[in-house]
Amino acid sequence: MSRAIHAEWTKLRTIPAPGWLLLAVVAMTVGASALATGVVKCPASCGDDTTKLSLTGVMLGQAAVAALAVLAVTAEYSTGMILISLAATPRRTVLLSAKAVVVTGVVLAAGAVAVLGSLLAGRMLLPGNGFTTAHDVLALSLFHGPTLRAAGGSVLYLALIGLFSLGVATAVRDPAAAIAVVLGILYVIPIIGDVALNATWQHRIERWTPMDAGLAIQGTKNLAQQAIGPWSGLGVLGLWALAVLLAGWLVLRLRDA
Amino acid sequence: MSQLITPYRSAQPTGRDGFIQLLRGEWTKFRTVRGWVIAVLAVALLTAAVPVLLAKSATTNDAITCVRGQCQAESQNFATGPAGTAVVDSFYFVHQPITAAGSITARVSSLHGSGSRSLPPAYYALQPATQPWAKAGIMIKASTRSGSAYAAMVITGSHGVRMQYDYTHDIAGNGAAGTSLAAQWLRLTRSGDTVTGYQSMNGTEWTKIGTVTLPGLPATAQAGMFVASPQFVAAQGSGDNQLRAVTQATASFMHVRLRGGSVNQAWRGTQVGGEAAVPRDVRYHTSCGKPHCPGAVPPPQGGHGVTTGPGGSFTVTGSGDVAPFVPITDPVGVTLLGTLFALLVVVALGAVFVTAEYRRGLIRTTVAASPRRGRILLAKSLVVAAVTFVAALIGSAVALPVAEHYLRANGWRPPVWAQLTLTSAAGLRVVLGTAAIAAGAAVLGLAAGAIFRRSAAAVLAVAGLLVVPIILSLVLPLTTASWLLRITPAAALSLQTAVQRYPQVSSVCAPYHDCFPLSGWAGYAVLAGWAVAALAGALYLLRRRDV
Repeated sequence: MSRAIHAEWTKLRTIPAPGWLLLAVVAMTVGASALATGVVKCPASCGDDTTKLSLTGVMLGQAAVAALAVLAVTAEYSTGMILISLAATPRRTVLLSAKAVVVTGVVLAAGAVAVLGSLLAGRMLLPGNGFTTAHDVLALSLFHGPTLRAAGGSVLYLALIGLFSLGVATAVRDPAAAIAVVLGILYVIPIIGDVALNATWQHRIERWTPMDAGLAIQGTKNLAQQAIGPWSGLGVLGLWALAVLLAGWLVLRLRDA
Repeated sequence: MSQLITPYRSAQPTGRDGFIQLLRGEWTKFRTVRGWVIAVLAVALLTAAVPVLLAKSATTNDAITCVRGQCQAESQNFATGPAGTAVVDSFYFVHQPITAAGSITARVSSLHGSGSRSLPPAYYALQPATQPWAKAGIMIKASTRSGSAYAAMVITGSHGVRMQYDYTHDIAGNGAAGTSLAAQWLRLTRSGDTVTGYQSMNGTEWTKIGTVTLPGLPATAQAGMFVASPQFVAAQGSGDNQLRAVTQATASFMHVRLRGGSVNQAWRGTQVGGEAAVPRDVRYHTSCGKPHCPGAVPPPQGGHGVTTGPGGSFTVTGSGDVAPFVPITDPVGVTLLGTLFALLVVVALGAVFVTAEYRRGLIRTTVAASPRRGRILLAKSLVVAAVTFVAALIGSAVALPVAEHYLRANGWRPPVWAQLTLTSAAGLRVVLGTAAIAAGAAVLGLAAGAIFRRSAAAVLAVAGLLVVPIILSLVLPLTTASWLLRITPAAALSLQTAVQRYPQVSSVCAPYHDCFPLSGWAGYAVLAGWAVAALAGALYLLRRRDV
């Protein structure tokens, strides 16, 4: 297993794309978060959940995470490398686990940097926009329990999105199809959920789809109004990732490379 | 001795390498890949099925309710106008009968608004003293029934003098728009069912603004002075909630002269449209187009009426509006957002149509057969655009009537929400627009594929421009969200919206309710611009790089 992990790590670090994508995870997350915290104004939006607002960029950064995870699998099929990988590591389970471990590892690292950067940007930008103690808004701090949970949870969220995308890619094998499926599930379903005309369906989508449920971990205010609790939401995303990984594993086992 | 050897030459005639042949070659490539054909079928199927499923589940209890003849949509009163569409017709009218030939003249010497005093503090400052579309002026109206035909000359809060008639029509008069005009003379003359509006600075030299026909205007109609002040509307957050507050305005009228009236008639004051222009006793309320809106705060409202002053002057106070009803929710547009799934497939298809050639090395054969690379790009674009256009056209032509059927069954029906049929202009725009968006997205995907040569990167980039701005626009504040939807290709989705908006009605354009800042084809021009720019970039790189 450790050899397989080492091999996957070597594959990942010796081509330029993953490095750039990890950089993109950080840049897109921090950039979009800074945009969100840079444009809100207090007193108009004093009541906003500042922690959640500062972590808005995770919504954008996850696209780069998805691309990284998809490429980790589909690039092998595009180039025929998969034949060598399977010759070297004939046990499919070990190969897939090794990929999952390596992808999770790098995403956790980049995610932690991205999330901390976003919170830092929020901490610096928000007071300038009127979010001060004068309006009963405290500065963002990791010593605040819910904020710490939101930050740590966001890093886990990105890792789970990576695993989810890895599973889709293993099942689909084609890079374009895999990216389209992942983006469709991650982005289009929440758009539909947000604008849906029927409250019941809106609630269902917010509760049971990967992005909406997973991002519930970022809420620190009015938790009772969220469609799903923070950790249960992340759990729903975890179940999605598990189910899709299982499907990928089955395809990998049953279908020729 | 040397022997001459004649090289072999095929007896077949030489093939031409014209553009038609190239186009045919690309079409053959496309139709012989099974996965791509399946993808095209998926585009048609997704375009048709997802909107229908969304329309079927779009049940709500907030669409249209009627109690004792008074109808409401999205918690706001509406009447049915002369054209059969929903209108807002609620204002204070000081009137007398007028016969088939007559005129009314008045000098409006001032117009002042007073907003709602009970707004939340953050919004109090946003509220202008006089609403930009507060109106004071003279009107000839079929009757005092809400929704009846009318023509009016008005002074507005900040849009100058206007002639307005039958709710949807608005003609600008003389005088700078954006300024508040006071001390204007206004005149309406009636001859049968034709009404002509005039404007004057001094009461002697008159400028004609417009002549309009009000079909079926009765022999005895009502003429007089009126004042209306529409609700103040503001977005909260990303626009998912809208704050609405009742405002009122007061105007002074002098030198009021009615010709063609009956003798010894007195001026009568009538609150047209009843007091309940907004839910009774509500000065401001939030309305979000969904059943679960934050609660309303209801302080009392009153003080409408007329007082007469010395020298035949009148001071009239009123609130409400005389304008088309613009609903918040756009059920057709929201339903058609379901085509985003198909759009992702389209983008992937466009990208793969190029990247597959690089992956298999076919690009070398293609370039050898047609060395002029610009033509290759053009031929490929045409093929993929045509195929996706047709697929999306079929899909949306099926989706629209079926979705409309379910939407109407769920309460989203006329007069508030016009029915879109395939033969109506709006319906045609939606269906052709959906197909055109698909074609544009396919070309954008193709260009990105030629630029990146990797399908994953191409799909990610295009989807990032097309889909991600929409989800970000739902969480960012409205001003930033509007910018995002102005500059990214997502602007093209404006073609799929169905609610008609009017410049003379203040409303909040929130992405949350499927309103896009650029309207119709202007939004599509943004997508087209991106596609052309990406194609130019792809052409540059294709010429410069080895294959």
